[in-house]
Amino acid sequence: MSSRTKWFILLIILIPGGLSAHSYARSLSDSITLFTPYTRISVPPGESVTYSIDLINNTKSLKKVDLYLTGVPKDWVSSLTSGGYTIGQVSVMPGEQRNLTLKVNIPIRVNKGNYRLTVVAKDYTTLPVTINVSEQGTFKTEFTTDQANMQGNTSSTFNFNCDLKNLTSEKQSYALIAKTSPGWEISFRANGKQVTSVEIEPNNSTRVTIEIKPPANTPAGTYEIPVKAVTSSTSGELSLQLVITGTYSMNLTTPSGLLSTHLTAGESKRIELVVINTGSTILNKVNIVPIAPVNWEVTCDPKTIDKIPGGEKVNVTVTIKADKKAVPGDYVTNFEAQTQELVTKASFRVSVKTSMVWGWVGMLIISTALGSVYYLFRKYGRR
Amino acid sequence: MNVSIKKSILHTLFTKAGSLIKPNRGNQVASSRHQYLNNAFRAIVFKEVSDHVRSWRFIILVAIIALTCFGSLYAALSVIDKAVKPNDPEGTFIFLKLFTLSDGTLPSYAVYISFLGPLLGISLGFDAINSEHNRGTLSRLLAQPIHRDYILNAKFLGSLIVISVLLFALGFLVMGIGLIAIGIPPTVEEFMRIIAFILLSIVYVAFWLNLSIFFSVRFRQTATSALSGIAVWLFFSVFYPMIITMVSKAFQPSEFASAHEIAGYERLMSVMLYLLPNQLFSVATSTLLMPSIRSLGTLSMEQMTGALPGPLPIGQSLMLVWAQVTALIAATVLCFALSYVSFMRKEIRSR
Repeated sequence: MSSRTKWFILLIILIPGGLSAHSYARSLSDSITLFTPYTRISVPPGESVTYSIDLINNTKSLKKVDLYLTGVPKDWVSSLTSGGYTIGQVSVMPGEQRNLTLKVNIPIRVNKGNYRLTVVAKDYTTLPVTINVSEQGTFKTEFTTDQANMQGNTSSTFNFNCDLKNLTSEKQSYALIAKTSPGWEISFRANGKQVTSVEIEPNNSTRVTIEIKPPANTPAGTYEIPVKAVTSSTSGELSLQLVITGTYSMNLTTPSGLLSTHLTAGESKRIELVVINTGSTILNKVNIVPIAPVNWEVTCDPKTIDKIPGGEKVNVTVTIKADKKAVPGDYVTNFEAQTQELVTKASFRVSVKTSMVWGWVGMLIISTALGSVYYLFRKYGRR
Repeated sequence: MNVSIKKSILHTLFTKAGSLIKPNRGNQVASSRHQYLNNAFRAIVFKEVSDHVRSWRFIILVAIIALTCFGSLYAALSVIDKAVKPNDPEGTFIFLKLFTLSDGTLPSYAVYISFLGPLLGISLGFDAINSEHNRGTLSRLLAQPIHRDYILNAKFLGSLIVISVLLFALGFLVMGIGLIAIGIPPTVEEFMRIIAFILLSIVYVAFWLNLSIFFSVRFRQTATSALSGIAVWLFFSVFYPMIITMVSKAFQPSEFASAHEIAGYERLMSVMLYLLPNQLFSVATSTLLMPSIRSLGTLSMEQMTGALPGPLPIGQSLMLVWAQVTALIAATVLCFALSYVSFMRKEIRSR
């Protein structure tokens, strides 16, 4: 072979070799290969990822390979196992392969983003895997309700259905606390029982029903009730909104509470009535309507009260005139206080007395008779 | 009266009076004379009372009345446990039911009094004056220095005292036995009503007493006066109601009569009924003993609307029957006045 031919051959050999110097070097080291099919995985926080990794020995000789992980963030727990053991070094026969399992536990409190982990086969090769944490991981408690606002009157009971979610990595025992004014009744129910605390496994949730009863005299308005689920390490908060509508309630009575009177037939008497607005809202146009026996005259002054604010009272003067022919004994006269919203009734017992006129006439007749006897005594008896 | 006893009384009176009415005259004498007359009157009254109490007639009458009253009390006690119904406005007046209840076989106490009261009055008064007259003691009595009307007044008052004691005793006996039997004491109101009932029955008996005294003044024969008294009683209790039934049938309005006509008819009937002393008495007593009675006549619908069933206070019950009470008292006084006048005008001669 001429030297020229030798140089050419060398060139032919060297050029491709030079061009592929790098790939050649890798192909050399690739004699040990780490393989896994899913090198990029998206998971939510709190999950664990399991990789199945194959270690392939392409060389012609037995290889002992040291294995370890790099790039694992702090707080992440990972393990490399094979055949039921946690391993650090694997020995592979030529042309054989070994299956390894990499398990990575992603904590709950983790930032969103890509995390690169590398499985290193020392002196031979590396296998980078990417874990994409799909959302911002938390260490928190979620206390939510789908309907935080309710409306009702003072006599209604408000039931809020809430979800308490433990988004921490530990089991939590939550104390349930509500902050209310005195008089409000609040009870928590979970699993059908009245409770003050609930225990929730990590990443689980429990349905908590909050039952609220406002005091009877609550003025109309909107009330915020903060509710808390608290443990030593975490807490969830929820604000419930109650809209109390006004109640309509009215009482018709007398200032002394005495609902009876005496009356002589045919004569009239004035009595005082009181209309008390026992509700929480203003009452407009209260009509006082008497329902009296036939031929009785009952007049009310005023007949209509324009407005009575909540808790206030208004006096009404009533004049009752009994029928001339009313028989002695008890009669009932009803009074009604009517508004558009409600009607209240008061029964008034009137004891009718007969007029004394006939009594005096009778006395006069008797005394006339006795007087005439006395006259006879004078005329005949004492002669 | 027993003549010998009367004589001795009058003798003592006379000697006393004779010693008093001596020469000196003046205020002292007049007051002494007044006192003497009072004593004399009291003596005659007491004598009358003792005569009545000792007489067989009175004892028999008392026995009859007492027996019938206890019979009615027994009847009332046997049904009193069934008499109190729930929602009865008179439920609280159980004690009064002793006087008004009957078991259907025997009339109630109040009915007995209204029936036997006239008999008591007539029997105590029918021979008041004429028996004295017939025995000749009347002229002797009138010879004494006492007012003439003292005799009549004392006769009336003596009988009235006997009647009052008898009726009060009977009434309180019924109350006492009832108290032991039912064990519920009467309330003050009930007690007052019972006292009013007893007083009213005394007035009622006094009416018949005065009527019979009047007859005893008018008729010389005791049998005549007794019969006329009983005749009046029978007329009022038997025949007059029959007459009323006849009249009511004659005047009964047709079914199609107007309310006004019916009311007028009812007024006429009640006026006719109230001429009866028994009717006055029974209406007055039933109203007094049944507090739930609010009206004596029929009530119009206007009066009924809104009326609550309930007992009346005693004052109102009295007011309700005040007309009847007045009529009874006035009739009693009238009878007394009549007998008084006729006695004072009577010519009395010794036989």
